[in-house]
Amino acid sequence: MTASTLPHADAALQARLAAIVGERRVLVRAGELRTYESDGLPGYHARPSIGVFPGTRDETIAVVRLLAELGMPFVPRGAGTGLSGGALAEGVVLLGLHRLTRIISIDAEDQRALVEPGVVNAALSRAAAPFGLHYAPDPSSQTACTIGGNVAENAGGPHCLKYGVTLNHVLALTALLPNGDVVTLGNADGECEGYDLLGAFIGSEGCFGVALDVTVRLARNPQAVRTLLADFSSLDAAAHAVSAIVAAGIVPAAMEMMDGPTIQAVEASIYAAGYPVDAAAILLIELDGAAAGIDADADRVAAFCREAGARGVRTASDPAERARLWQGRKKAFGAMGRISPHLVVQDAVVPRTKLPAMLAEIARVAAEYRVKVCNVFHAGDGNLHPNIGYDATSPDESARVHAAMAAIMQACVAAGGTITGEHGVGIDKLPYMDSLFSPATLGAMCALRDVFDPARRANPGKVVPMHSCREWHAAPSARS
Amino acid sequence: MKSSLPTIPDTCAIPGTPLSDARAGIDACVHCGFCLQACPTYLTLEDENDSPRGRIVLMRALVDGSLPVDDGDVRTHIDRCLGCRACETACPSGVPYGHLLEATRATLTRVKPNPPVARLILFAFARPALLRLVMLGGRIARATRMSRLLSRLPGRFGFAMAMLESTRSAVKRARYVPRSDAERGTATLLTGCVMEGLFAPTNRATERALSANGYAMTATAGQRCCGALHAHAGDDEGARQLARANIAAFERSRADYIVVNAAGCGAMMKEYGQLLAGDAAWHERAAKLASRVRDVSELLAEAGPRPGGALPVKVTYDAPCHLLHAQRLATPPLRVLAAVPGLELVPLDGSEHCCGSAGIYNLIEPDVSDRVLAPKLANIAATRAPMVATGNPGCLMQIGAGLHRAGMTCRAVHPVDLLDASYAAQAAAERGS
Amino acid sequence: MARGTVGALVSVHAASEIATVLADRVRSARAAGTPLRIVGGGHWLDAGRPCRALETISLAEDAGIVEYEPGDLTLTARAGTTLADLARITRAEGQWLPLDPFGSATGTLGATVATGSAGPLASAFGTPRDQVLGCEIVTGTADVVRAGGRVVKNVAGYDLTRLNVGAWGTLGVLTEISVRLRALPEMDRTFAVEVSAADGWTWLRASEFTPMAAELMSPALGALLAVGDAAVLLVRLGGNEALVRGAVESLAALGPMREVPASMWEALAAAEPPGSAVVRLSTAPSRTAALWERASAIVERARGSAHATLTRGVVRCILPVSGDGDEEHARLRGMVGALQNLGTAIVERLPASLWPAIVAPAAVDPLSVRVRNAFDPDRILNPGILGEPA
Repeated sequence: MTASTLPHADAALQARLAAIVGERRVLVRAGELRTYESDGLPGYHARPSIGVFPGTRDETIAVVRLLAELGMPFVPRGAGTGLSGGALAEGVVLLGLHRLTRIISIDAEDQRALVEPGVVNAALSRAAAPFGLHYAPDPSSQTACTIGGNVAENAGGPHCLKYGVTLNHVLALTALLPNGDVVTLGNADGECEGYDLLGAFIGSEGCFGVALDVTVRLARNPQAVRTLLADFSSLDAAAHAVSAIVAAGIVPAAMEMMDGPTIQAVEASIYAAGYPVDAAAILLIELDGAAAGIDADADRVAAFCREAGARGVRTASDPAERARLWQGRKKAFGAMGRISPHLVVQDAVVPRTKLPAMLAEIARVAAEYRVKVCNVFHAGDGNLHPNIGYDATSPDESARVHAAMAAIMQACVAAGGTITGEHGVGIDKLPYMDSLFSPATLGAMCALRDVFDPARRANPGKVVPMHSCREWHAAPSARS
Repeated sequence: MKSSLPTIPDTCAIPGTPLSDARAGIDACVHCGFCLQACPTYLTLEDENDSPRGRIVLMRALVDGSLPVDDGDVRTHIDRCLGCRACETACPSGVPYGHLLEATRATLTRVKPNPPVARLILFAFARPALLRLVMLGGRIARATRMSRLLSRLPGRFGFAMAMLESTRSAVKRARYVPRSDAERGTATLLTGCVMEGLFAPTNRATERALSANGYAMTATAGQRCCGALHAHAGDDEGARQLARANIAAFERSRADYIVVNAAGCGAMMKEYGQLLAGDAAWHERAAKLASRVRDVSELLAEAGPRPGGALPVKVTYDAPCHLLHAQRLATPPLRVLAAVPGLELVPLDGSEHCCGSAGIYNLIEPDVSDRVLAPKLANIAATRAPMVATGNPGCLMQIGAGLHRAGMTCRAVHPVDLLDASYAAQAAAERGS
Repeated sequence: MARGTVGALVSVHAASEIATVLADRVRSARAAGTPLRIVGGGHWLDAGRPCRALETISLAEDAGIVEYEPGDLTLTARAGTTLADLARITRAEGQWLPLDPFGSATGTLGATVATGSAGPLASAFGTPRDQVLGCEIVTGTADVVRAGGRVVKNVAGYDLTRLNVGAWGTLGVLTEISVRLRALPEMDRTFAVEVSAADGWTWLRASEFTPMAAELMSPALGALLAVGDAAVLLVRLGGNEALVRGAVESLAALGPMREVPASMWEALAAAEPPGSAVVRLSTAPSRTAALWERASAIVERARGSAHATLTRGVVRCILPVSGDGDEEHARLRGMVGALQNLGTAIVERLPASLWPAIVAPAAVDPLSVRVRNAFDPDRILNPGILGEPA
């Protein structure tokens, strides 16, 4: 039997951490840390020096205070479903928070819940269901991802088109700062005066500390839901249908597009949803709200789709069919594992009117670099998820995939868009930050980070390129 | 800007092992994590190493050589897997997890054999005469109430005795002779090791219920253990030997269907083709045989099944993993229960989660098994149903023993027993009128 | 398709011309130690705490649309653009920015965002925090920062946008703002229903209809706006004909109801007498009715008025101020103090001399102080406006 052994200093840390969380919850050996080397974007690997997994709020505080005392960097991690490499801990402590799974309270009257960060997104909606409520942000990974992770990434999801992203659903949270201080951000019982530190914390990708508990808003289940599936013989026609619907003032709960290759991958998986496999694109459109008037809107949506050239439009006839149509969409990313041994997923956003041109540009890039791109995205938001399947054992193909991704990203930025709509920067999108933001803006981000974490120990090396912070701090005189 | 995506070395550190052949299955995993919340050991132990995604990472590490095959942690986490395959139901990429697990165990046991208890059990199951003797001993202990007495002992032995005690038939029924017109073809029963040894009344009930639904039942001589226990424990060669014997035996039967009332055995037999994929002489025969295999609930659901007499009882249903996840049969058992007039089916929270039985897992990983079982018992208690139906001997005994040791009056029964009792009640009513 | 056709190349880095000029001003003000008062249209100068500034920078002239592509439902404008102008330009495309802060409609986008001001429409559409996509800021360190972006979903980098919304210009001068727009609803009708706060909340909480706004008005306010002399719930319904009809039917069961012109909302926004003291109370929505009852009692004694956004748990109390004498101030102190005792209270307007005595400073917690130190270390921008000590 073999096992790697720790350097002496880490052995001392191991003992002190074990005294807090118990021996079983401190991982040090290569065989045990292996699975924590990556998140939902498995192209990247980084070995943590040690993994620690507190089970209670007090343990979490004690662990972070110990790390602060020792001046040690750490990386928070929820369920490890992130798609930007944000939870990778390169030679530092990995702080797993997935064991903090208590739903502390559900307040049906005020439609909110107080939860620990490790509560799984879908589990919260399940717990709220008896009250006719649900948690609105629904990232595709909702059956696995945690609320803490959602807060760190400001996660979105298909239904964010109407209901907004995580930012719009968090009322307050208790943050544990990297120095061990515990502070309340936001106000669950009314308005807040002063700086929106809650807004700054949400989406900070674990660089500002960790959430110990989060008060989230719960949404009422809509009285009526209509789910429509429209299929098109061109991506362009589908994109035009999206524009027409939006321009008419109809706000669907969700409006999702999938292209032909994605449809085929989904239909070959166990989540086959009955999508037409010969379509160039499908639109999955959901309307919800009061029963009165919903059919009128559904009829108009169907008409817009037909006018744009849809071959067919069908409406889910029952909740089971609706669930099946959605399963296909939500599991699309995984279903692509079927077509290629490895996969990268991008998360670019362009102004909605640029969608047709952007899709054409992606197709052009794919042809130029000879890569397979599947497009599945939140069409209503202009949030694209080009997925590129490839064989990571081939250096040549990997290089082409990387070049294609970079070209797509640059095109999105040039079109007035952004490099990530909901997955976060992590390490994957770090190289594109310089093209999106000026040095002064990146410097301001560094300054904000320093407010929460002056020692820069929380999730080091993520979100903002190191050089911008160095420059910001190296030349303060240049700015005064 | 980074120069390129990281590339993965295309090497294999363990050529010629079952795991190295399974590499394509490993590569199908995109690390999305959707399996985590489906995994009973992850939910119980809260360590990703005890999750499908974590175990696949370990498998990949064995293949690329970044972890040695004798790594103690790898073995621990692979051993702790129940093999319930709930992850396969959750996996959008179609990772053949059950197959990967068996290949990994077959690879690891070459380096370090299974513990003596496991080897002893596998040894016995591969030898019909010895197995019959063991089962006889079991029945004597049960008949003399020894099992009841000894089930109060702490630890694994006490639990094993509780398992034995729980096999006492929970359904009383009058004798009846089913009418049969054989309109749906012929079927032959895999009598099974534990089923025939400890659940013989259920086997007879299976035959009667199928007859009553238009299947002509025939017997097949020379059948053996299905080999599932061996395959799950990494004894792939042992499993293949048993499979070949069964193929030969059932090829002699001309029955249209080979019917199985033990979900684990049915899942195994349906996968004989994959099991013998590398055996040129047997592969085709195995695949052909596998195509004749049906779970009893499939055949019954195909026929309706025909409704029986009233049986006013509240029942909850727990899905055996090897029925729901391995064979993907969710509704047929429910249709069997729905054919019983008066039976009130109460939904069971977490029915899709494993009970912790997992073949011989409950005997070699008792601690984890108990922790997986605990929420199952709590959920059953919450239904207030006096009976929980489940179509697999391992689950019947695991849940049965748990209920017994917890002092709960609820009993575990095979769905077919309830249908059979319903037919018996109908026959009695007809006789009485 | 050629690469160039994807879109006009937007230079995301380039600072706007005015921002560059402003940066110079901030830089020299900083060097000279001259604090600056940042002003938009100048209509709301009586809002907020008194500011210790020696010079004024007005952004009123820096108005206009930078980019507006109706199909994207987003718009970028200079900070000095008035809400009235924005409404006019977007209405021509069948769209609107659903932000209706109290006070003059000629208030600017910059001031609305800087103060985080919202009105009844926040009930359905949220506050500026929920609608701003990005902004250009000249920080107190004279850096031109372009935060966020112009697309509706964006998580690239830390959220400097949210940090500046509602910061009252103390971290940076807002020079350009991108917002998300909405399509105008097919129908937009307003009804006045006589109902108690408790019944109004119960209906809003349980109803399948989500009004665009539902603002409860005190009898005094109702009388002022000529909608009745009892407490009245003003409900603004938007959507297609069938939806609005369904909502009207449901509302009618609540109490005596009549339709009122949409101009009612503008009248409400402009209802408070100049120089009034305004205190905004807030609580959890389920406790709004109780808060309303208690606040109403105080407001009535002060011969003031009140209105409440029931779904948000916000009760806005308007206290008339007559004169500047010590006696009047003592009376005000008593009234405001009584309101503050009811829970979370944000004071919007107050005679200048009263602020330090009765309103606690905002943003004085250690994290907020560090934020200020990072972006305005010399307290050049709107010093005092958050009540921070000199």
